[in-house]
Formats: sequence, structure tokens, C-alpha cells
Amino acid sequence: MNVVSIHFDRGLAYTKRRSSDRPWAGSRPQEAPERGGDALKGDDENILFASLVLPHLADAYSLARWLTGNRADAEDVVQDACLRAFRAIGSFAGGNSRGWVLAVVRHSAYAWLRKNRPAAVVNVEDLEAVESTQAKPGDPDSDTPETALIAKTDAARLSAAIFELPAPFRETLVLRDVQGLDYREIAEVTGVPMGTVMSRLARARRRLVATLGRAEP
Amino acid sequence: MTRATLHDDPTLLVHAYLDGELDPVNALAVEQRLASDPNLAAEYERIEALQRLVHEQLPRETPPGDLRARIEAAVRPRHARLQPSWRSLAASIVATAFVASGATFLVLAPQPRDAVETAIVADHIRALMAPQPADVATSDRHTVKPWFNGKIPQAPRVIDLAKNDFPLVGGRLDVVGTNPVPTLVYRHAKHIISLTAVPAPGSANAGATRHAVDGYNIVRWTEDGVAYWAISDMSAADLDKFAELFRTTPPDQ
Repeated sequence: MNVVSIHFDRGLAYTKRRSSDRPWAGSRPQEAPERGGDALKGDDENILFASLVLPHLADAYSLARWLTGNRADAEDVVQDACLRAFRAIGSFAGGNSRGWVLAVVRHSAYAWLRKNRPAAVVNVEDLEAVESTQAKPGDPDSDTPETALIAKTDAARLSAAIFELPAPFRETLVLRDVQGLDYREIAEVTGVPMGTVMSRLARARRRLVATLGRAEP
Repeated sequence: MTRATLHDDPTLLVHAYLDGELDPVNALAVEQRLASDPNLAAEYERIEALQRLVHEQLPRETPPGDLRARIEAAVRPRHARLQPSWRSLAASIVATAFVASGATFLVLAPQPRDAVETAIVADHIRALMAPQPADVATSDRHTVKPWFNGKIPQAPRVIDLAKNDFPLVGGRLDVVGTNPVPTLVYRHAKHIISLTAVPAPGSANAGATRHAVDGYNIVRWTEDGVAYWAISDMSAADLDKFAELFRTTPPDQ
């Protein structure tokens, strides 16, 4: 008997359902507020924007860079995301503004990738199917020398290995290990159930361990 | 995450442990397993080495100095007036943003949650993860009701809905705040429904309302001083139907 309860007080929910089954996934957000002729006058929007979005610019830029792979593209993505966030700022319902900003950045980044580098956007379903059939790493008899090899990895090799990860794994790993979000926040930013966050994170880390734990050729 | 996956793959718990996502009880359980399972211990060491590496080697990205200024300029009202095309561009962007998944988050932003509801959701999730969703497993309401007697002041109303495709699975005691409350467990196809009866003496009767929390549907109503909470991952329509049947079916039929 191994009952798992994980931070229930924070409302963490492990669900096995896919986003299409989630009852709220189909509910549209209320219509974008009609701003009409006053669309761009609002000082309020600018104040909100300055307090909700701008503080997260570094996080936004970091995520964009890990998703697009380079700094110039990351700047484009962040600018686009900021415009989207600015336009939608009146509908921000409160709460975790960093998560909200990162969700918008992520959306902008994938829109940008689909347009400019369609090959980089992986079909997640295929990916998960392949992954789940692969054997788990971890040879019980070895003395895990890979731990020592991992510890000696330099920044360039580590970055390269992270960039090699398929996007769904990469974003999960970056949000957790680089940006320090918790599972619940990652689930909200990436729009997948908590269980998917956990398995993607584990797979991302196993891939990195497999790559970095090998002696360099 | 299915229960099966968590049990089949204990390494996920090691990740959750290292990420500080486990409550103390489960953290302790993982620690005990790490001590006795070299496979898990090896996984733990690899992940920890990786996390340390990421932490030490990857500098936080700093955006170029002028990025902030450029963004501020782009959203400043007077600039927009000088560029009429900006508005139509922005309009199309906002439309896209709302259709796309990222914007769904807007309405999902965390809201303060009712303490009872939090407990109900947590108990339901825990029940799904446990080997059995009910403490007393029986399809016979005449077994469930006496089981509650002696454990709580008032046994809940138990309705047999087997002929409506909502067979009774059993019952369990949940805790809301510090009070034990009875929960009936029903099943529909492969979905589990937890129906918790929270004493609410003096409360006016209230009709059923439904909302969604963390991907679960919840239907609640108040009747005869008892607040009923039905929660399940099945469709909203099915849960509505369940609530309607429970409320309208006489107990002794």
C-alpha cells in the first residue's frame, strides 16, 4: 500500500485526462473586452502592464531563448508576447502573474516556431508513444560513474544537451530546473496535467543524464 | 497521472522528492525506499548531480538592455496614435491570443478556494490514488449505512442507483477541516464519483450548481441541513444526471 498524496493543501491534482477531456478546456475565456476607440488610451493598462508583465521580463526572455534557441529570436518572441499580454491585461484575473506571462511567452514562441521553423515543433503524441516504449536507464550493477561525468560537464555542453531535447521535454525541464517553477505552475503554463509534467520532467532528465553521463567522444 | 503509473514507476516519486513536491509522509516513504533500493538511489544521485550542474553552470539569462525600453515604447499610448496600423495588428493579435491555448490560462488563474472544496477535491484525489477508493467496499447500501453508524453522529442518506448505471462502490470517511464526514463512492463506467455529505445545520436548501476545479467536475447542493458535494472526472452532463438521480430517487426504492 503506497498512498501518494502530494501537497493537497495546494490543490495539486494528478489527473490522467488529456486536455480535451478537461471540462474547462472547452470553455472559452470571456470575450476579449471591447476596447474600441479607447483601446490604447488607458493609463490603467500601462500601470498594470508595468506591475504585472515587466517584472517578469528576464524570465520571459529566458524561456523564449530556451524555446527558440537564440537571442535574436527570443527578443522577437518576447516583444510579441508583451504586446499580447498588454492587450489582454484587463482580463488577467489575478494570481500568479509570472505563470501568466510565461504562458503567453510560450504561446508566442510556439507560434513563432510554427511559422519560421515548423520542423522544430514536434508532435507530442508521437513523442510520448515512442518514449514510453523505451527502456528506463539505470544499470543497477554499475557504480554510476555517470554521476562523476555529469558533475564535470561544462556550461556549453550542458546547454547543447538541453537544446537537443524535444521541445515539450525541454520546456518542462527549463521551467523547473532553470526557472524554478513548481509542478503546479508548470502544468498551468504548459497546459498539461500534472502527471504529464512529472513524466516529461523525468524523461528530460533521463535524456540529459544519458547524454552527459557518456564520456565525450 | 494514473495510479498505476505512479506505482509502476517509483522514480517519478524520486523526482518529486528532489523537487520538494512531496508532503512529509511521502517524503519519508521515499527516503526509506532510497535506503533499501540501489536502483532508486542511483537515480536519485543522477538527478541530483544534474540539478546541481544546471544550477551552477547555467547563468540566468539577462535580456538585452534596450529590450525593456523597446517594449515600453511599443505599449505607450501616444506612439500607438502615431501608428494607425498598430491597432488593427493588435486586434488580430488579441483575437489569436484568446483562441490559442495560452490564453485559456487567463480564466484559469488561481483563485482563492473554498476550504471545504479544497478538502473535497483532495480527498477525492487521494481516494483515486489509493488501492481502493472506499474504506468499506460494498454495493449494498444496507451495509454502507451501518458502517457509518458509530463512526460519525449521523449516517448519510444512501441511495441505490445501480439500475441507473451508477452502482454504489462503497463508503469512506473523509476529513473536512477537523471533522470526519461521510463520503459515498459511486461508479459510472470507469469513472469514480465521490459524494460527500457535509453537515450544514441551519443552512437553507439550495439547488444543484456545477463548476470545475483542477479538471474535476463538482456539483453541490444543500438539502435538509446537509451540503452535498459530488465530484468526479466524468463529464459534466453525467455528473448532473447523477446528482439529479440522487436527489430525486426515494431512499427505500
